[in-house]
Amino acid sequence: MDARLERILFRVQKPARYTGGEYNAVIKDKAQVDLRFAFCFPDTYEIGMSNLGVRILYGVMNGMDGVWCERCFAPWGDMEAEMRKADLPLWALESGDPIRDFDMIGFSLGYEMAYTNVLNMLDLAEVPLHTWERGDDDPIVMAGGTCAYNGEPLADFIDLFSLGEGEDVTVEMLELYREVRRTGWSRREFLRRAAQIPGLYVPSLYNITYHEDGTLASITPEKGVPPVVTKRIVQNLDTAYYPVKTIIPSTEIVHDRVMLEVFRGCIRGCRFCQAGYCYRPVRPKSPEVLIEQGIASCKDSGYQEMTLSSLSTSDYRPLAELCDGLLDYCEPRNINLSVPSLRADNFSMALEQRLQKARKSSFTFAPEAGTQRLRDTINKNVREEDLLRSCRTVFEGGGNAVKLYFMLGLPTETDEDVVGIADLAQKVYMVWKQYGSNRARGVRITVSTAFFVPKPFTPFQWEAQISMEEYRRRVALLRRSITNKSIIYNWHDPDVSYIEAVLARGDRRLGKALEAVWRRGGRLDAWSEYFSFERWMDAFREAGVDPDFYACRERPYEELLPWSMISVGVRPQYLWRERQQAYRSVITPDCRKQCTGCGADRLLCDRKCDALYPISARERHATEGEV
Amino acid sequence: MAKMHAHRLLYEKTGRAIYISHLDTMAQFQRAFLRAGLEIWQTEGYNRHAYVSIALPLSLGFSSRCEILEFDLLSQVPLEEVPALLNRTLPEGLRVLSCYGAERPFKQIRMLDWSITMDYDSGVPEGVEEGFREFLAPEHLIVRTPPKNSNQGYTEQHQTPMVHRWAMEPVGERQLRLSCNLAAQEPSLNPQLLMETFSARYPELAPDFARYRREEVFQENGEIFR
Repeated sequence: MDARLERILFRVQKPARYTGGEYNAVIKDKAQVDLRFAFCFPDTYEIGMSNLGVRILYGVMNGMDGVWCERCFAPWGDMEAEMRKADLPLWALESGDPIRDFDMIGFSLGYEMAYTNVLNMLDLAEVPLHTWERGDDDPIVMAGGTCAYNGEPLADFIDLFSLGEGEDVTVEMLELYREVRRTGWSRREFLRRAAQIPGLYVPSLYNITYHEDGTLASITPEKGVPPVVTKRIVQNLDTAYYPVKTIIPSTEIVHDRVMLEVFRGCIRGCRFCQAGYCYRPVRPKSPEVLIEQGIASCKDSGYQEMTLSSLSTSDYRPLAELCDGLLDYCEPRNINLSVPSLRADNFSMALEQRLQKARKSSFTFAPEAGTQRLRDTINKNVREEDLLRSCRTVFEGGGNAVKLYFMLGLPTETDEDVVGIADLAQKVYMVWKQYGSNRARGVRITVSTAFFVPKPFTPFQWEAQISMEEYRRRVALLRRSITNKSIIYNWHDPDVSYIEAVLARGDRRLGKALEAVWRRGGRLDAWSEYFSFERWMDAFREAGVDPDFYACRERPYEELLPWSMISVGVRPQYLWRERQQAYRSVITPDCRKQCTGCGADRLLCDRKCDALYPISARERHATEGEV
Repeated sequence: MAKMHAHRLLYEKTGRAIYISHLDTMAQFQRAFLRAGLEIWQTEGYNRHAYVSIALPLSLGFSSRCEILEFDLLSQVPLEEVPALLNRTLPEGLRVLSCYGAERPFKQIRMLDWSITMDYDSGVPEGVEEGFREFLAPEHLIVRTPPKNSNQGYTEQHQTPMVHRWAMEPVGERQLRLSCNLAAQEPSLNPQLLMETFSARYPELAPDFARYRREEVFQENGEIFR
């Protein structure tokens, strides 16, 4: 261990997150390694180690002979100050070596507010910040993850984006890197050839021009560079790599348990949900494979907790079979199986009760909007009577707390919709009064509202975000409308959501603003103790950027969007049609009732989209009462 | 009275593992037993979990050659096979040395041998040993210890009787090693507190950095505790 680091570790909070050496961390013999990859997560260790994608790609890369993938996380403020004082460059946890000496540096981008950490980590690593400043001896800097679908705000800093699921394309990219190394290395040659690999997007190979009004005029790829880059998917999850043997942190992390991903994609089509469109098509994993991997993961990790993960676990067809198989192993060993993301239909409620050893007292539902009209607009197929029926089941079963999540600022939202949230909460209260099995204990109904952020690749990608003043007015209206003392109202501050809206649909001109905010001290912006709205606004002014242009402007259909060179498989025309349906408050049935032709099934080579298989009797029964 | 559990491990905590906190170290062992397929007694409350208990908490950043962990092994495995099974499933730096049946309760622990390595970046100054001897003179060694919680104020601790023996030797030109035997449990003397008090009183003899390692555990009669 570096002698400077040894002294620093005595002075910082939670030093175990900076030391590595965890169970199953991969240590390789440097003499046998010809390609070193620093997998950087632009947030703290506790957040990054909870990310299943990081674990998958770590395993995939380290499964390659001669490749050593190591991890690196954003230091907390105290550690950063110590590093800068001691002149200690950012290091990788496994070897302790500075990552500036690695061949490649890859960032996982899951949240726009982590962008400043990307810049800060590059700076701490002593890697030139801008793509054009890097020479042949500097590492290639790449990024993937959900935010990479519109990585344009980071185009000045990232050489290469990997779009979609990385299991296959990462291997192809590393093999190309080696080949170019063998045949005479040139950074530009590697990037040009990488752009030929489906799923890899090299921003520097696309020239962007703008109209006088600031909108995009053209996106022109260099000669031979594909005009559209389509995300990659894993064709068969049963045969895809799953990290049974994975790093078990020596300090507590956010998701400290076995994570079993049951399927990718979502059949629901909620019109605000980026993941719902970007992760299509639906591809399940077979219950046999999941049971085997779940048991093996428990054995290898020693975890006594396992969770199923997906966007909507109730939509996993063999859920009962899977839970039975896992519980046969888990119950006698006191391993707790949790199944989040359940819809509150009858089947799921029965399953919840079975999974809970003791009765659960608090349930969370996300109706997202207060009136049926607005729920139809956003295609959240939740009916009031279904929600109230589920609440009745909760209250009859002894539950006394319900959390209800909503968004404010959804397209077409009126004051009636806002007040509708209070009405809905009041109706939930009345259900408790009528059916609560233990009324002496009282009830707690928590209403939470978030500020809607329009995201790329959703039907609302053309929408304006409402102003922060308007959001605050609607919050105040809702506060006034809630008069019952048993209903607690929490709302998010709009500042972060506004910045998030700017970055989510930003173009590469935002690079200057990102740099300005980072130079003014911006980092760890996802953490309220570090976020400063004033700093962001000052940086926008300094960079000559009007944030309202990105957040609060409605785009016409004809406008060339900054992410038009990227495809997630879902046709833009489909998204536009969904937007029109939204304005008519017409719902689109889920994919299993009827294929609505989004186009994502074209990404599948020799398999049918899971949504196209006939619906079973159990599913029909379940969907009749869904929330 | 705390229940005495049937089995114990003697293990060392070195290298990168010294930054694993006390609670996280227990979690590592709980998981290591499960990984190794060794069944141990589980608590019987609402949140059932494998039960382990460590004799004396070790401060974050300290290493040790003599940590003792207590549990009840339910699997029918010879105790001498347990260290190898566990060492395959523990993170780097945690290494089990032996497994044996418990004979005496933890409360009989009275003393610890410590090894403190002191770094002097610009060379060891003259007179550290003399200074330390003077420092330990009975009339000097009363230190104020910080409160354990907000309800308590600072307490005064007379440390001299808690330093049972000590010796100092040079390790190269820039390091000194202080070996000492300090009181443990009712009362305990934390060696870091001792060094901090020394450094505050003799700033010109204060090391730039100190590393702490537990070397051995003793009971009252001076016998090694296991």
